[in-house]
Amino acid sequence: MYTRRFLALGLLAAAVVWAQDAQLSIQVSGDVKQPLTLTADDLAKMPRAMVRTMNNGMETVYEGVWLHEVLKRAGVPQGSELRGKALAGYLLAEAQDGYQVVFSLAELDPAFIDNEILLADTANGKPLFGAQGRFRLVVPKDKPGARSVRMLTRIDVVQLRK
Amino acid sequence: MTAGLCAGGFDWNLPPGFPRPPIPADNPMSAAKVDLGRFLFYDKRMSVSGQESCGSCHRQELAFTDGRAHAEGATGQLHPRSALSLVNVAYAPSLTWANPRLTSLEEQMLVPMLGEDPVELGLKGHESEFLKSLRAGPAYQKLFPQAFPDEHDLYTLSNVAKAIAAFERSIVSVRSPYDRYRWGGDSSAISDAAKRGEIIFSSSERGGCFQCHGGWNFSGAIRFAGSSADQQRGGFFNTGVSAYTAPNRGLFELTHKPEDIGKFRVPTLRNIAVTAPYMHDGSLRTLEEVIDHYAAGGRMDDPNKTRILHPFRLTDSDRRDLVEFLKSLTDEQLLHDPRWSDPWR
Ligand code: HEC
Ligand code: HEC
Repeated sequence: MYTRRFLALGLLAAAVVWAQDAQLSIQVSGDVKQPLTLTADDLAKMPRAMVRTMNNGMETVYEGVWLHEVLKRAGVPQGSELRGKALAGYLLAEAQDGYQVVFSLAELDPAFIDNEILLADTANGKPLFGAQGRFRLVVPKDKPGARSVRMLTRIDVVQLRK
Repeated sequence: MTAGLCAGGFDWNLPPGFPRPPIPADNPMSAAKVDLGRFLFYDKRMSVSGQESCGSCHRQELAFTDGRAHAEGATGQLHPRSALSLVNVAYAPSLTWANPRLTSLEEQMLVPMLGEDPVELGLKGHESEFLKSLRAGPAYQKLFPQAFPDEHDLYTLSNVAKAIAAFERSIVSVRSPYDRYRWGGDSSAISDAAKRGEIIFSSSERGGCFQCHGGWNFSGAIRFAGSSADQQRGGFFNTGVSAYTAPNRGLFELTHKPEDIGKFRVPTLRNIAVTAPYMHDGSLRTLEEVIDHYAAGGRMDDPNKTRILHPFRLTDSDRRDLVEFLKSLTDEQLLHDPRWSDPWR
């Protein structure tokens, strides 16, 4: 059902896609062994993780999948394999309106740093909706929220040195 | 730091998740004090003319604004700025349009009460007469002792300030249709147009409004029970609203630093549909005009204009959607709730 809805949306003009429902899947593409199209159902079957944030005194509990688990599934080098040329790799996260931010691959790898970067699909137990999008990033260790991309649609992996 | 723990017996009846406002240790909340504050807030004895009160410029049905570009005082003098809403003012880390040093409601109220430039209520020099008239008021002979049960010297300016401040801190609005949609689990509480408007509001590629009018209060920095000083900082921007001539040069009036010319506080957008005209000088009459101002990247050029603003394209239907979203922030109940209405009527 998700896929059919997504296809139907894809046929409409871009402007309409923008203004209407959030996209119901995320593309993982670029320099990856295994490009992926992930829906909420797919994420539900992966190892789940949780992050708590405080925004102006309001607590939100986000659930989803660590971003490094998504990269693992796409075959991006991690742990002992993330060395040499692969360290000049980064991830570009893009939102439905074209907003983009970058993370280096090392910065996403728990073998390098205890970061907590979540690809979230629920907040306080409910599926994300509206301006949050169906999916978002949550980067609790960043001080500003600017890389916690809402309405996430695409994750592009780029290896600068091949 | 523990200011929020002094709420005493007072209950804001907040929906789950919202933080309580901070309360100063020397002015704990109580229902009796809020009640006294309400009588004082609307009492026309508060002005030299006997015709005006706080409530003349802060009218409940207009979310405690006055509908004017420039507030008019008891002697007819115009204020250089537009009256601010008092809704959720308890959460504001600094008060008025551009004064980071004015942080206490108890202190702020003395400005409209006693200030001479401009004259708002014009009570300067009439303080003792005013306090005497309160002492003679039958309603107050009950209200003051209930509000300040352990005190002998009841009828003081300091107690008047405390009671009005407590009343102001009780004016909390977090129950708009948008709140029900976003936090209350009611997906049909706002229209589809408002939902599309929320997306424009939240997109930094387009409206980008959330970058300054952020968080659940749609404002700059807020303070709340237990917040750190760090969370309260910031939130003054030059947004190219006017030519910024004296006395409306924003933060500059205080700091005299050239880079502060035109920097004003980011006000809350709650109930914004009923608080026209807009901006510190009331120069924008409608929400449509406000949106066009932002879509142009801030209508005036100014060397201090924040680089966060940038021109963006909006179709007519995008503009309508954004207006619908802003309208969904109106808490109709607040505008008529008897708890905040004029008790003298
Ligand atoms: C003549 C109209 C007028 C009267 C009377 C008046 N005010 Fe105001 N009020 C204003 C204006 C104008 C501002 C914005 C002032 C500025 O930025 O310099 C304001 C700002 C405020 C603020 C700051 C709100 C914020 O969000 O920072 C508070 C609090 C306030 N008034 C409370 C009161 C109280 C309490 C009284 C009665 C003692 C009162 N006012 C009487 C016009 C008025
Ligand atoms: C760079 C920070 C910034 C951004 C981005 C921003 N605002 Fe503002 N906003 C302000 C400031 C500062 C003021 C007060 C300006 C003044 O009076 O000079 C303000 C005032 C307003 C007011 C008038 C409030 C009142 O009580 O009169 C409205 C309405 C408003 N903004 C809506 C929006 C909308 C809608 C957007 C997105 C299209 C937006 N703002 C984006 C900083 C910002």
